Amino acid sequence: MGLRLTVQVQLVLQALLHDTAREMYGLELSEETGLQPGTAYPILLRLEHEGWVTSRWEDVDPRAEKRPARRYYRLTAGGAVQASAALAGARRPKDTALRRLAEGDGVA
Amino acid sequence: MFITAGATVASSALDGTRFSGWQWAPWVLGLTLIIVFTAISMNSGGGPRGRLGISGLSGRDRAAGDRFDGLAAHRWHGLVMVSRMMPGPAGRRWLAEAESVLWEIAAAQRATAVRSYLLSGLRVAAVTWAYEGLRRVRPGPRHPR
Repeated sequence: MGLRLTVQVQLVLQALLHDTAREMYGLELSEETGLQPGTAYPILLRLEHEGWVTSRWEDVDPRAEKRPARRYYRLTAGGAVQASAALAGARRPKDTALRRLAEGDGVA
Repeated sequence: MFITAGATVASSALDGTRFSGWQWAPWVLGLTLIIVFTAISMNSGGGPRGRLGISGLSGRDRAAGDRFDGLAAHRWHGLVMVSRMMPGPAGRRWLAEAESVLWEIAAAQRATAVRSYLLSGLRVAAVTWAYEGLRRVRPGPRHPR
């Protein structure tokens, strides 16, 4: 199953590529990309299935933190290389497309 | 697409049988509904789903909707229902992650976030069932949980 590099996928990859060592959780990614969390989830699932991204549950005591554990995502080493190459080869999303995306699907 | 493909296959398979034309359609639709409802009811008996139930922040997922300001309980129940359309572990993960995000997101944005989860839920269900099928055909580590 190939990965289609839609504008949304590019936004998620750009956010993760910003600092490949940094793990990001759903809400963080949503805020960084402007995508709704429900929109980002299937993208992350596909990236994980393709081996570009790895994820883990945060190891905390939810009672102590008074919130549920977060699911953290980060690019794998191979995924970072593939993502960089894919983004370099992809047509850059136009400003109008990003604006439309932010208006129609943005968190803010 | 799947419905069209299924209809074409069913039409070809039943061609020449006592089902002429589209007479088979109500039978197939009825059978599909029975299968879906059976699958959902079989899935629903598995105890609490979602991180709240697992983590112990709340005893049962029925209480979760009441814990989010600005989120009606029926919307939470909608998420639970959608999660039950996915393979067990994938549904639990999807719901737990949705809950985790909804817990931390600003109350004013919560309803929109829930809507986005509900809208993409069916796509996630289709994708996770496809991954589940692939996993059964060729077992290996490449299947997100």
